[in-house]
Amino acid sequence: MSVVEEILKSGSVAVYLQRNYEVIRQVVAESLASRGFILEPLSKATSRDWVKKLLWTALPERIMEGSGAFIYVPPGVKIHAPLTLCFVVSKGSQKVHNVVVIDRGSEVTLTSACSSVGSGTVHEGYTEVFLGYGAKLHYFMSHSWMRETEVVAESGIVAEENSSFDYLYTCLRAPATISSATRARLKRGASASLSTIYVASPNSKSKLGSSIVLAEEGSTGEISSRVVAGRGSYVSLPAEIEAGAPDTRGHIECRSLQVAPDAYVETIPVLRSLSGGSQLTHEAAIGKISDEELGYLMSKGFTEEEATTLLVRGFLELGVKKVPEPLKPQVEALARLLARKAIG
Amino acid sequence: MGSPLLKLEDLHVQVDGREIVKGVNLSVRTGEVHVLLGPNGSGKSTLLKAMVSMPGYRVTRGSIIFDGRDIRDLKPYEKARMGIALMHQHFRPLSVKFSSLATELCRTFGSSLDLISDLRVDGLMERELFRGFSGGEAKRAELALILLQRPRLALLDEPDSGVDLESLKTVGRSINTLIDMGASILLVTHTGLIAEHLKRVDTAHVMVDGRIVESGDLTYILNIVRKKGYEVFRGSRA
Repeated sequence: MSVVEEILKSGSVAVYLQRNYEVIRQVVAESLASRGFILEPLSKATSRDWVKKLLWTALPERIMEGSGAFIYVPPGVKIHAPLTLCFVVSKGSQKVHNVVVIDRGSEVTLTSACSSVGSGTVHEGYTEVFLGYGAKLHYFMSHSWMRETEVVAESGIVAEENSSFDYLYTCLRAPATISSATRARLKRGASASLSTIYVASPNSKSKLGSSIVLAEEGSTGEISSRVVAGRGSYVSLPAEIEAGAPDTRGHIECRSLQVAPDAYVETIPVLRSLSGGSQLTHEAAIGKISDEELGYLMSKGFTEEEATTLLVRGFLELGVKKVPEPLKPQVEALARLLARKAIG
Repeated sequence: MGSPLLKLEDLHVQVDGREIVKGVNLSVRTGEVHVLLGPNGSGKSTLLKAMVSMPGYRVTRGSIIFDGRDIRDLKPYEKARMGIALMHQHFRPLSVKFSSLATELCRTFGSSLDLISDLRVDGLMERELFRGFSGGEAKRAELALILLQRPRLALLDEPDSGVDLESLKTVGRSINTLIDMGASILLVTHTGLIAEHLKRVDTAHVMVDGRIVESGDLTYILNIVRKKGYEVFRGSRA
């Protein structure tokens, strides 16, 4: 069974698969296509003027050799089964530019899977997301990299009034070097939740940044990260919320677990209020698994290794704030896998 | 009468180099319910923790015979898997979801979540274990985990402290479930409040200054404690 068939069998209603710069498959369920849903290469979508005008308005402009996917969900369409984007790099450098437009009042779950199968490769992914009035997007980005792959991943989100954006980033196999940044700009009454669960591989360097601008009244944002830092890893977690309007709320929660004495972790929470009437909070903690927690679980019948795995898994699971129901089994399975990886 | 399920012989326990338990002898038969009373600092909790080899609690002399085998030097998880469960008294938040731990215990001990339906813990299941739990919630959650271990011997450390009357009844019912399951119980309490909610107590013991100084009928002993306190037991030997 091909990868695409497997994804469709697991319940996806639309799949886009690209290897390097070649689009391998794009499949859209008839029920969606007939309602005006579009999934196609961005290079084709830019023949429409309105799409062209959107490019690089949610992220700083980059010079791109290639393209990625374009998704358009028309107004009032609610899709509970996930849409899936897959990008694989097998040689050289892959630069991907995706644009996702969820129109007024629609609701969508999108999973994006990126991976490498060749060493010495580079993946640069840029995703721009535009949410219309009252639109909802649950976005689960899951990566799996060869150690030697260098990764740059940036996402920019523009959320119109009363829209909501729930985002979870995980990485099953972390590369030696990764730099990611997710930036959301929220208009009146919009909300965003940016979550990261990540296990840094040994001797790796990871910078995982998130930022939210609460641009208009009534917008709310939350940034949450749970990171496990293994042997010789360097992890930096910048997180920033800027309130530019009254009656806004933002919260940052950064927690890291050091499971090796030579791991380096820094959390850099920044709260910035440009207007009175905003409520911004943060909590950050870096720690190790305590003997007390281990002792408690061992008294319940778990070996030290089992207890450690349970605690690491719990630590990662608890970082997932809003996982849509269809993705819960996938995320829980991932947390179990990551926990086992984290303790080697 | 068969041989006891649990037999402590001249048990001595040190914490941070200081002897807290000073030669305890105790026998519990299968299905028996024993209550251990005593003032603060008398060594009751230390005794229970040492019995399951909690880190920092060092048995320096004596033996712990469980089901005919000296288990003194076994690791905590080995004792748990033999059927000894400790209900802890103090709870610090644990970075694990209550439901995840409950599920793992079901898998390890072949139990089912139906066992804990009476404990009113449904609303706590998706939360980080013990974080922000009230006193009653923490006790009920911990007791739920004990039930899921399907223990042969349950060591219950002050299940009645810090709980309201409603929770106390629930806790009592769950201990009765353990009794119905055929578990032996060794229950530590300051006040004996929980005893009113138990279907049966076979023997009560008084522990003072690291030793069991009196054993007998619970009502008789509680009468003395309530009238004269524990001071009257100092200097006596069981």
